[in-house]
Amino acid sequence: MTVEQPHAAHGEEYGHGHGSPFIQHHYDDAKHQFDSGKLGIWIFLAQEVLFFSALFVAYILYRHHHPEIYSYAHKYLDVKMGAINTAVLIFSSLTAAWAVRCAQLNQKRGLILCLSLTIACACTFLVVKYFEYSHKVHEHILFGRYFDPCVSSGGNHLLTRNNECPGSKTTVEWDKEKAVATAGCFADIAIDQDPRMEGVQASCSVAEITGAWEEKVSADGKKTKTFVEKSRKAITTQCPEEHFGHEASGETGHAKASYPCWEVTAQPAVCRPGWFYSWTCSGPVCLEESGSGGPFASQSACQEARSADAAKLKTQGTIAMSECLPGGASGVLVNYNDHYERGESIRIEADCKAPPAATETGDSFAEREQQLQLGKKAIAPAHKLTTHEAHELEAAGPPPEHTNMFFTIYFAMTGLHGVHVLFGVFVFIWLLIRATKGHFTSDYFGPVDFAALYWHIVDLIWIFLFPLLYLIH
Amino acid sequence: MATTTHDAHDDHDDHGLAHTASVRVLLATGGSLLFLTLVTVLATKVDFGANLNLAVAMLIAVIKATLVVLFFMHLKYDKIFHTVVFTSAILAAALFVGFTLMDSSQYQQTNIWNPDAPPAAPYGPRPIVGG
Repeated sequence: MTVEQPHAAHGEEYGHGHGSPFIQHHYDDAKHQFDSGKLGIWIFLAQEVLFFSALFVAYILYRHHHPEIYSYAHKYLDVKMGAINTAVLIFSSLTAAWAVRCAQLNQKRGLILCLSLTIACACTFLVVKYFEYSHKVHEHILFGRYFDPCVSSGGNHLLTRNNECPGSKTTVEWDKEKAVATAGCFADIAIDQDPRMEGVQASCSVAEITGAWEEKVSADGKKTKTFVEKSRKAITTQCPEEHFGHEASGETGHAKASYPCWEVTAQPAVCRPGWFYSWTCSGPVCLEESGSGGPFASQSACQEARSADAAKLKTQGTIAMSECLPGGASGVLVNYNDHYERGESIRIEADCKAPPAATETGDSFAEREQQLQLGKKAIAPAHKLTTHEAHELEAAGPPPEHTNMFFTIYFAMTGLHGVHVLFGVFVFIWLLIRATKGHFTSDYFGPVDFAALYWHIVDLIWIFLFPLLYLIH
Repeated sequence: MATTTHDAHDDHDDHGLAHTASVRVLLATGGSLLFLTLVTVLATKVDFGANLNLAVAMLIAVIKATLVVLFFMHLKYDKIFHTVVFTSAILAAALFVGFTLMDSSQYQQTNIWNPDAPPAAPYGPRPIVGG
């Protein structure tokens, strides 16, 4: 569609009396040129549909098999932002369609206004997209193996694999040999326990088993790998109920992890036996004093705080172990330090014994202060959970396995769509420049019409992406 | 190279090149699209059951898409051949989806590790030994 040689001289021969200089000489007339272009753009749009359909197939296939991932992960997305972007795109589609009308009617000023509005809307869309993406980058809500979220989709903090969440999150470096942290600061990591679930108490014992994977060849030549225990060490230290340590402010935190201990949490909603949170149980280690920025005024104050924290450590404890939602297994989680750091050769064995079931009943959800607490009886729910409550509960826990796939698909779809929007911006800027020069007339408005058609397809794809990604029930 | 000779022509509603959408149609289409966006957001807040909610959302999306195609993209007034091109693309996409879903279980049976000795889970469920 580029105009290399505006055949001004030929205009009079072909046009409709006042022929546009942009009618190429190899077309019979303006209509011939317009129709050819229009067929071309429609074939391009058909190709766009097929292009995007591959991603829709990925989406549908994955959603078909893993609906739980979608119902969990979409809560990470902000419906408000998605809805704003939908409205912005629809409005820009309106202005694009209007721009075509203006071009057809020789309304130069209207055309310039409509094109400008379209560009402004497209930029707004991209800015909103930027805010959405940058939030996800900060929270590690990303694709593939980069999915390592700082919070659950319900907003609870999760300690991540890489301990690199911004703000109040933990940043700890571990000495694998000594199983102690050597650097870093930490803050509260709390997994909200749900008080609505019926539960019983359990007492747990935890052991750290060092071993190795050994390959065995059976009689029929089949190779199997089994974990062979070499040594075992009971971890008798349970982390204290309240997360102790002192809010370390800034980068020069003095509080450091030093006690190997275990912690159990009830996670009835997720109910996957064996979910491991990365979790560090830690108290302050008193380092050399580093200025006045830290939480302790002096070395001795730090020592004092440390011994006080140490006193809080328990050597044994109980956990309220909840029953799962119908049919599931129990959801006791035993957490010991950071399983990522632990490596393949170390396993944690947790043995939890359940005492008799609690008999009390009551709607404890209404009274939020009745949290599940170690050593206290959990209370049965007074009512069956509604769908909404069940979802809320699910969102409180960690992401189900393969949740990263949702974001792989999310970024592929919205990213490709975003690239289309960006391309549209450039096209509309080019049109705007030409419009100011008065190139578009009633017998030459093809480029405006074709760009608008492209823009409508981009809008159309977003019309599907919005409910599919943001509005999952 | 720009000429100003087009100033004299104002009445072009019946121009031969293409159909000109009236302001009324444009505004009505834009308005309905925005309204349907609101409806679809509100519809998710009502619990019809997961499948029905999805069906409602998709129905609204299809209506919106149809409005865009018919009025913004002028397909209603355009050559029938453009409709053929576009619908055949959608049909091809539907075949693509349909055939993939027909044997979607093909993609579920891949055991990439030995279940007796799984590698250390990088993140996520991991069996408690002896639990």
